[in-house]
Amino acid sequence: MEKILTKKALPQWVKTLTSYKVYFPKKEEEDRWNYVEISDEEMNLDFLNTTLPPKKLLFPQSEAFLEFAKTTENNQETLEVKEILPPEEQTAIFGVRPCDARAAWLLDEVFSGEFTDPYYWKRRNQTILVGLACDTPPSENCFCLSVEGSPCSEEGLDILLTDLGDKYFVKSLTENGEKLIHARKGLFQDAKPEDQKKAKAVQAESAKKLKRQLKDARSIASKLKGMFDSNIWDEESMSCIRCGICTYLCPSCHCFDINDEVDSVSPLKGRRVRTWDTCQFPDFTMHSSGHNPRPEKASRLRQRLFHKFQYFVENYDKFQCVGCGRCISFCPVGIDIIKVLDKVNEHGT
Amino acid sequence: MEHNVYIPKLAKIIEIKEEVGGARAIKTFRTAFANGSNFEYRCGQCAMLSVFGKGESMISISSSPLVKDFLQFSILKMGRVTTALHEMEVGDLIGIRGPYGNGFPIEDWKGKNILFIGGGIGLAPIWSFLQTALLKKEEYGELTLIYGARTSKDLVFREECERLKNKMKVFLSIDVAEPGWNEFVGFVPQNVLDKKPSPADTIAITCGPPIMIKFVIKALKDLHFDDEQIYTTVENKMKCGIGKCGRCNIGPHYVCKDGPVYSWAELKKLPQEY
Repeated sequence: MEKILTKKALPQWVKTLTSYKVYFPKKEEEDRWNYVEISDEEMNLDFLNTTLPPKKLLFPQSEAFLEFAKTTENNQETLEVKEILPPEEQTAIFGVRPCDARAAWLLDEVFSGEFTDPYYWKRRNQTILVGLACDTPPSENCFCLSVEGSPCSEEGLDILLTDLGDKYFVKSLTENGEKLIHARKGLFQDAKPEDQKKAKAVQAESAKKLKRQLKDARSIASKLKGMFDSNIWDEESMSCIRCGICTYLCPSCHCFDINDEVDSVSPLKGRRVRTWDTCQFPDFTMHSSGHNPRPEKASRLRQRLFHKFQYFVENYDKFQCVGCGRCISFCPVGIDIIKVLDKVNEHGT
Repeated sequence: MEHNVYIPKLAKIIEIKEEVGGARAIKTFRTAFANGSNFEYRCGQCAMLSVFGKGESMISISSSPLVKDFLQFSILKMGRVTTALHEMEVGDLIGIRGPYGNGFPIEDWKGKNILFIGGGIGLAPIWSFLQTALLKKEEYGELTLIYGARTSKDLVFREECERLKNKMKVFLSIDVAEPGWNEFVGFVPQNVLDKKPSPADTIAITCGPPIMIKFVIKALKDLHFDDEQIYTTVENKMKCGIGKCGRCNIGPHYVCKDGPVYSWAELKKLPQEY
């Protein structure tokens, strides 16, 4: 379904969605945008991209799995363990960039399979992603085209908006997307062939403006295989200060830790919590004996790149990178995944 | 609703046996589910144990699936959770989720000779199959155990190993000579070379410290075992147990889900990062 929505009508549409928790990007500091639950005056889609991807709304940085409490009655100890699932709340996130939506599509793979993750899927199934095609690359380091995405890719999205000046070209991609449009059908006009043409032109123009490119990403997957023991990992990781920001800002990184948080020791009361974790920290893989399969920075940079461009490709036939460029833009020491992978292309066979 | 994979079932500790004392203490725990939960598992699989308030730890199941009265875990006191487990008493409640991992392909091993090679706490993951093979002795050929530890006091299942000598070949070793020790003195791989087990129609299963596994494999290769005849069980730090938290991987494999059991033919193809 293809529709037209005037920019003036956008707030009217959003206000209709009273049964939804609605998130929009919000400017929090100079150049720093974040997804927040909105109030009326903040429905602004005139932004590049958020610093933290919307991943946090599907897979929060910290979330409780269960609560536990010990009680003693007549000298009989009992332990109560209670599951805490995310609350029931229909959610709509507006202005999701196509790369970040593709990342959700990758997380869908990780949290499915033989064991499904009930926390992720509870949120994912009740969340509608309203994407915004890029009319200009949000970052100097965008390279979505190199990893099989594009400024208007649709994977992971329910609706894709394309900015046509004073109106949006609205493409509904899923049943959930239709449902959201039907909530205020009267605001939308049918798209005409020339609107579709204009949207295509905007998207094509944006693709031309991408500054960064990773050459032949598919061949990198096979070249990496032979470069596990290469000394480029030492060279390229030399400046790493193991801050982990490359992974914490990554829309597709999914590694996590599980720990118990204790409110009271006696009687015991607390909860089990999942938090984001990173392969860039040395104790991520350290056994309690002290043995560590990835003790060096080099082995951890190698893990990050192998995971995204080789292991994930082997397991799912997709890159685990959407080319958003955040890990490049925010690395405090300038480690640049494209430059490192260019070296792989250069040295690998 | 589908069962939440992260929620453990409650189990009571019904028996604790001190195997090894001192700084590297090992205890064997037998547990029974509080509400009689069903827990079907295969030899070589693991379970995620919870000490509420301390966290979780992935432990291999050392009892045989043929024994239904209890689940058994032999645990080296090492980190936060295992230390807490060592402080627990009979009657205390823990959480158990799982089972996890592939387990040994024992159906393929019927009729074969089985050579068990363990070092230290590494006997625990293979003990489950060893017990199973003893209970179904008619299904296998000759059973042999080569097992060693740093000192005689560090040997797990010491009494059981002595009793096993009536039922199968058992060769024990310790790293350094001790008064009264009349079996092999030296490392486990050296004992393997000394006993020269035949590769004919045999599957070798080894578990122990990473360095021991490496040299046991080398010894077995020297004795002309094929890569497909050598199995090991790998361990890595784990949190989720279901291939999502991202830390136990060896290349594209997650040890918790795709392992922990690998033939050397499979393992040698993966990046040597474990």
